[in-house]
Amino acid sequence: MTTPTATAPLARPRRAARARVFAHLAFHNVVRNARRSALTAAAMSLGLAFLVIARAISDGAHESWIASGVRMGTGHVAVQAPGFQRSRSLADRLSAPQVAAAESALAAPDVAREVAAVSPRLTLSGLASSAASALPVRIEGVVPASEAQFSALPGSRVRGAWLTPDDRLGAYVGDALARRLRLGVGSRFVLTAQGADTQIAGQLARVAGTFHTGVPALDEGLVYLPLATAQSWLSAPGAVTSVAVLLLSSRATERVARTLRPALPDGLAVLTWQEAAPELDSAIRIDDYGGYIFMFILLAIVALAILNAVLMSVLNRNREFGVLQALGLTKRETGTVVLLEGLMLTAASGVLGMGLGFGITWLFWRDGLDLTLFMKEGITVSNAVASPIIVPEFRLSQVVLSLTLTVLIGVLASLYPARQAGRIDVAEAMKFDR
Amino acid sequence: MNTTNDVAVSTRDLWKTYPQEPEPVHAVRGVSLDVARGDFVAMAGPSGSGKTTLLNLLGGLTRATSGSIAVAGHELSALGDRALATLRLERIGFVFQAYNLLPVLTALENAEFTLLLRGVPAEERRRRVEALFKEIGLEGLEQRRPGKLSGGQQQRVAVARAVVGEPALVLADEPTANLDSAASAALLSVMERLNHEHGTTFIFATHDPRVMERAHRLIRLVDGAVESDVRQDPHATEAPGVA
Repeated sequence: MTTPTATAPLARPRRAARARVFAHLAFHNVVRNARRSALTAAAMSLGLAFLVIARAISDGAHESWIASGVRMGTGHVAVQAPGFQRSRSLADRLSAPQVAAAESALAAPDVAREVAAVSPRLTLSGLASSAASALPVRIEGVVPASEAQFSALPGSRVRGAWLTPDDRLGAYVGDALARRLRLGVGSRFVLTAQGADTQIAGQLARVAGTFHTGVPALDEGLVYLPLATAQSWLSAPGAVTSVAVLLLSSRATERVARTLRPALPDGLAVLTWQEAAPELDSAIRIDDYGGYIFMFILLAIVALAILNAVLMSVLNRNREFGVLQALGLTKRETGTVVLLEGLMLTAASGVLGMGLGFGITWLFWRDGLDLTLFMKEGITVSNAVASPIIVPEFRLSQVVLSLTLTVLIGVLASLYPARQAGRIDVAEAMKFDR
Repeated sequence: MNTTNDVAVSTRDLWKTYPQEPEPVHAVRGVSLDVARGDFVAMAGPSGSGKTTLLNLLGGLTRATSGSIAVAGHELSALGDRALATLRLERIGFVFQAYNLLPVLTALENAEFTLLLRGVPAEERRRRVEALFKEIGLEGLEQRRPGKLSGGQQQRVAVARAVVGEPALVLADEPTANLDSAASAALLSVMERLNHEHGTTFIFATHDPRVMERAHRLIRLVDGAVESDVRQDPHATEAPGVA
């Protein structure tokens, strides 16, 4: 054994070798207090699992709102005249060539593969009158076969039947509207509205069927007519106010809208469902914000759990940190050991929590989470009906967010204890209790 | 200041003062000394005489209020925290009264800890630690954790940890205080042998007359100052420094 040359320069050894030592120490320190580490990890894992489940259910519910909203409204994407969203007037309608251009753009392969159904519509406001009463209504002129593929309303029939192409006067009305106008299946009533020529015109209609959605605005104020009848009545042959597009997935909305916009001639606007139904978008955003606040509170609790566990462990180990520094660790390296302990605890809890969260959510993936015990009919959100059976949905962005936040809180919650460990007075920590 | 290779540690007019009310406490008062490489030095004195504080100053565990300390030619006051940590890692070994082994590591891992930090290859580490364990009677205990070792065995592991990196200086604070007579004698023999055979410099802070008897040089501290500093023959029947 030979002592190094006394005045040889001091050179810090390789970092990689030291990092392995720190990781080794940190791992053994986590394992050393197995019960405390297990309890902390359990608290963190449950918190994270709950977070994963809550986000998956929330995203699933939102997807259900969107699916319902778009099928009862304008679809995921709507092609219409630029002013129609504000005016809701026949003056802002699409001509037959514009409709043909829109349908051609929708048939392009990169769009068509995302499309589930397309429904041209002539939408206007009018008055429905019967012998009993007269009430303001929204009138939708639709192609019965296209709309049946698109909308949820034909499936919400209470009495009678959905529209058929050969029943020119047939009307499909909300059940509450029918009650208020005292109409039954086969009853006649008159629709009045301003036509394309700006003249007020009336149209006789006969109730073919009634529907019930649970959305008051639809049940009390919506009337469906065959598109051809509406065009003829309103002196607007070949015209529609929008071409509604239902996509296979709401996630494709922005992509399809972006592809369609440059493919359409001037004078046509492409609206996403968020633009066409801003109230539904707002409802989802508000619900999301609530979810994020809840997530923040939960993560704060998890962070405190880690902080408590790591800090407790640090406060009991002053002498150990003194030894580490006496043996040649810097203050920062001593803190690094503690930081690694927190990160290891976080990583283990993260994996366990994610696994638990995904596992539990997976149980409800196929058949959905049935909440009919708490809400028989589903709740109304904007012009959508939230189904009482929620199918959870995983989004990669949410998984990444949950993982990132978990790592972040692990780091943040371990920083303070790590700093404390590095700041100890070594001489004081090494004092023997005489 | 003498920074030649013959001097392991050197201090000049070293002071350590703790600001306290109503009066500051001077734990070390103007200590100047040189310890040659390969020396076996005991610092004795009553409790509160400044032995441990002086040891901490020499080991760079605490900063001096004034004066200078050079260890292995490096002036400690000129070193930043990082360089000081490197100096401790490469040039100084510590043996503490309470053993202070890392409880999560085995005896072997504790002993090789500084080598690990220095990035010494595994084969070389094991070779050195196993040779040392054999030399100091720890053979067969490599995989035991500190909790499964006796006090004497733990302290021998601590000594192994202190010397395995071949430091310029080993500072031992009351290394025998928690050991019975037999364990103390065995430990001192180990350290004497390491000093004799490898030329390792030892400085002890001690109350233990057995340590004082076997030291080559005995420094007595009173109220933080050097009261006496005598070189002695450790083989004499009665040590001159023992009260």
